[in-house]
Amino acid sequence: MADSPGRPDGTDDEDQDVLIGEEPGASVHPMLATEDSYEELDYDLNIEAPITEQRERLASGTIASIVEEHTGPASAEEVGTEATELENDVERSSLEGDLSNLQISEEVTQRRADTVPDRQDVPNDTDEEVLQNREAGQREIKDEDIHSSVWRDHKKHVFILSEAGKPIYSRYGNEDKLVSLMGVMQALISFVQDGKNNLRSIVAGGRTFVFLVRPPLILVAVCRTHESQQQLLLQLTYVYNQVLSVLTYSQLSRVLETRKNYDLRRLLGGTEKFLDNLLNLIDQDPSFLLTAVRCLPLDSTVRDTIGHSIQSAKIKDLVFAILIADNQLVTLCRMKKYILHPADLHLVFNLLNASTSFQAADSWIPICLPKFDSAGFLHAHISYLDNSKACLLLLTVDKMMFFELAKCKEKIVEKLKKHHCIEAINRAVAGGGYRCLEVGISDLRHFIYKSKSTAQFTAPELEAPYREKEERARLFNMYQYVHQRVHNAARPLKIMFHVGSREAMLGWVTTGFELYAVFGPLATKQVAILAVNKLLKWIKKEEYRLFILDPPEF
Amino acid sequence: MSGSRVDLKVVLLGKEYGGKTSLVERYLHDRFHGDVPYQNTIGAAFGAKKIEVDSRTVTMGIWDTAGSERYEAMSRIYYRGAKAAIVCYDLTDGTSFDRAKFWVEELKRNEEFCKIYLSGNKFDLVENDKSRRQVDYHSVTDYAEELKAEVFETSSKTGHQIKELFFKIAQDYVKEPRNNDAAPEVPKTLNLTDKPKKADCAC
Repeated sequence: MADSPGRPDGTDDEDQDVLIGEEPGASVHPMLATEDSYEELDYDLNIEAPITEQRERLASGTIASIVEEHTGPASAEEVGTEATELENDVERSSLEGDLSNLQISEEVTQRRADTVPDRQDVPNDTDEEVLQNREAGQREIKDEDIHSSVWRDHKKHVFILSEAGKPIYSRYGNEDKLVSLMGVMQALISFVQDGKNNLRSIVAGGRTFVFLVRPPLILVAVCRTHESQQQLLLQLTYVYNQVLSVLTYSQLSRVLETRKNYDLRRLLGGTEKFLDNLLNLIDQDPSFLLTAVRCLPLDSTVRDTIGHSIQSAKIKDLVFAILIADNQLVTLCRMKKYILHPADLHLVFNLLNASTSFQAADSWIPICLPKFDSAGFLHAHISYLDNSKACLLLLTVDKMMFFELAKCKEKIVEKLKKHHCIEAINRAVAGGGYRCLEVGISDLRHFIYKSKSTAQFTAPELEAPYREKEERARLFNMYQYVHQRVHNAARPLKIMFHVGSREAMLGWVTTGFELYAVFGPLATKQVAILAVNKLLKWIKKEEYRLFILDPPEF
Repeated sequence: MSGSRVDLKVVLLGKEYGGKTSLVERYLHDRFHGDVPYQNTIGAAFGAKKIEVDSRTVTMGIWDTAGSERYEAMSRIYYRGAKAAIVCYDLTDGTSFDRAKFWVEELKRNEEFCKIYLSGNKFDLVENDKSRRQVDYHSVTDYAEELKAEVFETSSKTGHQIKELFFKIAQDYVKEPRNNDAAPEVPKTLNLTDKPKKADCAC
């Protein structure tokens, strides 16, 4: 292993090659928020930020302001009361839950010893059985024996518990059986908190334990991988956001603040698959690592036509229109004043990715995008266009707008059909992206390029020798490794060249972009630097196909 | 699916895992995915279908709602203005019928003109194995009588009683004088402005 940290002489030259704002994929019209979550996170953790400040990281009130703008302050209040209505309901059910809790509390110890796990809060036994049976069928991993080595040896465990130490979620195994383990986690955290300190990570037994406290939740990752503490924290933050997207922060904090003992699984029931899926995506999709969005490569004229078609169907209170195909963004049309955070968009991708039920019928679902507004729900009309791979999401603040949006969607489909855009999207998806060969650099095997000013990234399809699943995973780990080295808070690097036994990798970070490139193991640093310069020129030439540089607005 | 003109709004309510989505799937697309693992509905899904009753075509707009407790407060926006509600329960799960009663109460309180149809789902499971039945047919019919509700025991797997259920809903709708008066010609003229009718996308 021979890696050399960026040498001032080498990097300075490279920096001058590309002027800021001229780098490939740069745009002055961002549609996505570009603050780097990775560094933001670092800030969160390095400064002893009080909880209130951490909360401010979550936006709030955006939805109310949109409503107010369009209909006057009175109805904004109405939205407010409706939100509380929901919460009241929750409180009521939480009360019920608590009552049964009291009744059962005496049996608890005995029950824990039983082989069959019980949900202590659910009053009815048959109810429980049904739930259990179903969940078992749904998530086979739930059946795993937590005392087996298979369970222990999973590469990455993720746990969610309440501040009171109640289990909420475990990536593997049934969280019911993990009561005592989660108790230990909670004890560790509160012990350190007692000394006015924060527990961030523990390294022991070849594993890294990372803790993220986001009151009223505690998230823990236990890994055998080589990801850095920062990377794992970022992943836990995504998991936290996923929970918020189902509940909203206001509801979550309200429920757990009034009833510390509340079993949150009652409210999260049925959404485990989204957490499972999210964690699987995080382990293979660079968008999470880079906090960036991948666009479907598409001829710019086609993309413009799609943008105009969506724009022309504009109706009041439509905040975002998002067209997604094959986990890639086709276009995003937004209200002029509002931009979307990539982390929110990742939740949307995960939603579509984890569920096939949207293909069957038009859906209407509440979703909270925590970076946009963690206090309330947006309402999404979700439909796959004309049985194609393209999925359209129309997001609004008004929960009664389903039919208006259905009409809006019909208009859009009509226009897209007229201009043969849906076929174009299907073709682009079937084609599977572009090939590294197109770039014309012989030794270049793969690359990931992120344009910082637009929070978008591009990468060619994975080809030999990265066809096999194991090899893909290994390559992704290599990317993670280079990423963590160049972003190391204590010793950040501008450029890094790493030669391994099977490939050489170049990582290069400037104010405008991040580039990671993979070469054959015999490539030298000079060859690699020449190659990436050529690569940047190629990306620049193709930037309108690879990125969304002129996003449409309502 | 076209959301433009719906005569008859139908809403499905009931406990999660009760078979609401499968019921709609069977009726709209005549299919049943036995091998696909359970997928809970998020929010709600909408589908529409035309049905011919007494030489009149009725467009049914069907709302399939999520059974999860989390969405309970939202369900109100789906049954508001509904002409018919199919309150589902799982014949193999006794608690699902308690949940059905909850929805019936809720509807009676809020939607006076909404007709209630009780649908015991997963009939195929109890048909051959009587021991699996957890909800007694006669106690349901007694309950329904008080409500003036209809009872169907359906199976989305075999299609048992499903067409009959929706046909009955359409028939009751057409027979109800209030609905005939309230069906103005206006929307039809509106329809003309809609471009040549394109094939409904199968959703």
